[in-house]
Amino acid sequence: MELNSIIAIKDLHFAYSKNKILDGINFHINRGEVVSLLGPNGCGKSTLIKLMLKLIHANSGEIWLNKKNIKKATHKEIASHVAYIPQYHNVPFNYSVLEMVMMGRVSKLGFFGMPSKKDYDIAHEAMRKIGIESLANKAFGQLSGGQKQMVLLARAFTQEVDTFIMDEPVSGLDYGNQIRLLETISTLSDQGYTFLKTTHYPDHALMVSSRVVVMNGGKIISNGNPKDVINPDMISSVYGVEADFIEHGEHTRCIPVFKT
Amino acid sequence: MKNFKALGIIGSALAVLIIITIVSLLWGQYPIDFSTFIGYLDFKLFGGVENDTYTLLDNIILQIRLPRILLAILIGASLAVSGASFQAMFVNPLVSPGILGVLAGASFGAALGMLISEQWYIVQALAFIFGFVAVGVAVLVGSMVTNSRSTIMLVLGGVISGSLFTALLSVVKYVADPYSTLPAIVYWLMGSLTMADLSGVLYVSIPMLLSIAGMIALSKYFDLLSLGDEEAKALGINVSLVRFCAIILATLASSLSVVMAGMIGWVGLIIPHIVRMAVGPSHKLLIPLSALVGAIFLLLADSISRLAFSVEIPIGILTSLIGIPIFIIVLKNARAAWN
Repeated sequence: MELNSIIAIKDLHFAYSKNKILDGINFHINRGEVVSLLGPNGCGKSTLIKLMLKLIHANSGEIWLNKKNIKKATHKEIASHVAYIPQYHNVPFNYSVLEMVMMGRVSKLGFFGMPSKKDYDIAHEAMRKIGIESLANKAFGQLSGGQKQMVLLARAFTQEVDTFIMDEPVSGLDYGNQIRLLETISTLSDQGYTFLKTTHYPDHALMVSSRVVVMNGGKIISNGNPKDVINPDMISSVYGVEADFIEHGEHTRCIPVFKT
Repeated sequence: MKNFKALGIIGSALAVLIIITIVSLLWGQYPIDFSTFIGYLDFKLFGGVENDTYTLLDNIILQIRLPRILLAILIGASLAVSGASFQAMFVNPLVSPGILGVLAGASFGAALGMLISEQWYIVQALAFIFGFVAVGVAVLVGSMVTNSRSTIMLVLGGVISGSLFTALLSVVKYVADPYSTLPAIVYWLMGSLTMADLSGVLYVSIPMLLSIAGMIALSKYFDLLSLGDEEAKALGINVSLVRFCAIILATLASSLSVVMAGMIGWVGLIIPHIVRMAVGPSHKLLIPLSALVGAIFLLLADSISRLAFSVEIPIGILTSLIGIPIFIIVLKNARAAWN
């Protein structure tokens, strides 16, 4: 285990019945990194995230969060170290944005505790940080996909953690909202926050990552600097398509190439 | 600021409940005027001047009207809070307190009690026991089908358990004496508050109020449960424990409702809808306010059943007759409160 790692995973195996999903995963995330988890559909990315959050249980292997084995951690303890930002979704009851954001504070309240002025201040500060304070009294269900994703990000900030796990954060967002969300992640990472995000877009991993981990068939097949890991061979072997890479300023861009 | 607003709304609802309670105490086949009532209260509470009519008022108020009013308040609050809790837990605004079979189980228990005994406490005990047995069957079936504790399997378990105990109830009705026991069972199932006696009501009020208080304490967790299990866990709550506590508390409150007054439908479904439409979906306010509005609704329904017709209509029939048109009216607006 790396000394500075906030999450460390050691020889992790997981199967649904006899269907092997993860097969000996080893990796760690250091404080301040932005790690992109790449891989085709069904490679085990989302399963790995669920295991890290103890939403499901591994068959074997260990997951350490802030030097504590999560087998011995409660969900409350896990939520005090790492915040999960799911793909934006609809909820059956039409909560206001403020109510949604305040849900990040519930695990901090005692059994009979009610949210105090301090909790509301933290929620407003989180919305201000993400730039959605003007939406506070709007109904969550009536927001655009991009706004909903920003609300879930603000909710994560009310947990007062510095590590965030995002499951395909740009999924379902239009192009503008995708770029705005990536910009937000980039800005927050400059402030020292740690991110692990799964993505289907190699280009996005190149744009906003300090490290890329590539999974295929339940194994990690590559782990390192984005420019080293994401290359034509990797795109071809993992996704079965061809791509060109071009330099644009200080960034590299991945351009898919049609075979016909 | 938000907390003050919520307290203001709850205080207003409580004031309405108190006013309707006083009006219900005074209004009836023997009307009591307000000044006589104040004099009676002064005599009872502060040892004021006695009046010849107070013996009669003792009988009317303490023995007849007060137990019935308290029972209506307790049952209305219990069913509304149970319904709101289950709606959050099953992430479905169309769920009612009977979702896990508690009402079917308790009804079967009561009918079985009437079949095998003439002792009223046996009828009540069996209603209570089989309310819990039915929920136990639902949870067991839900976990037998798969190891997952998903709410879908729990709902399926509830459907199976509810059907099982409804079928068993039919068996009891089929074998019951058609001239004595069967009519008793049928009238019981229509729901009635006429059997209320003060000591019995005070006795069940303790577990019912504790259940309601427990669900109010859990209310902040219900917001998270309504996002689905995975998100709730990731936000740091013990989903299994909260769900277990909510099922126990809602089952206790609902089965005691059947024990005291038979089947009273619709309260647990429509009251949370009306409250959600008025104050939004946040359970911190929805649960306590549902308790008060449920109590007001059932108290009004019982007053109508007592006073509006020459023959008293069973309360279960009336809540359905009132509840269905209200539900249709609120449905369009209520949809704005859930997606």
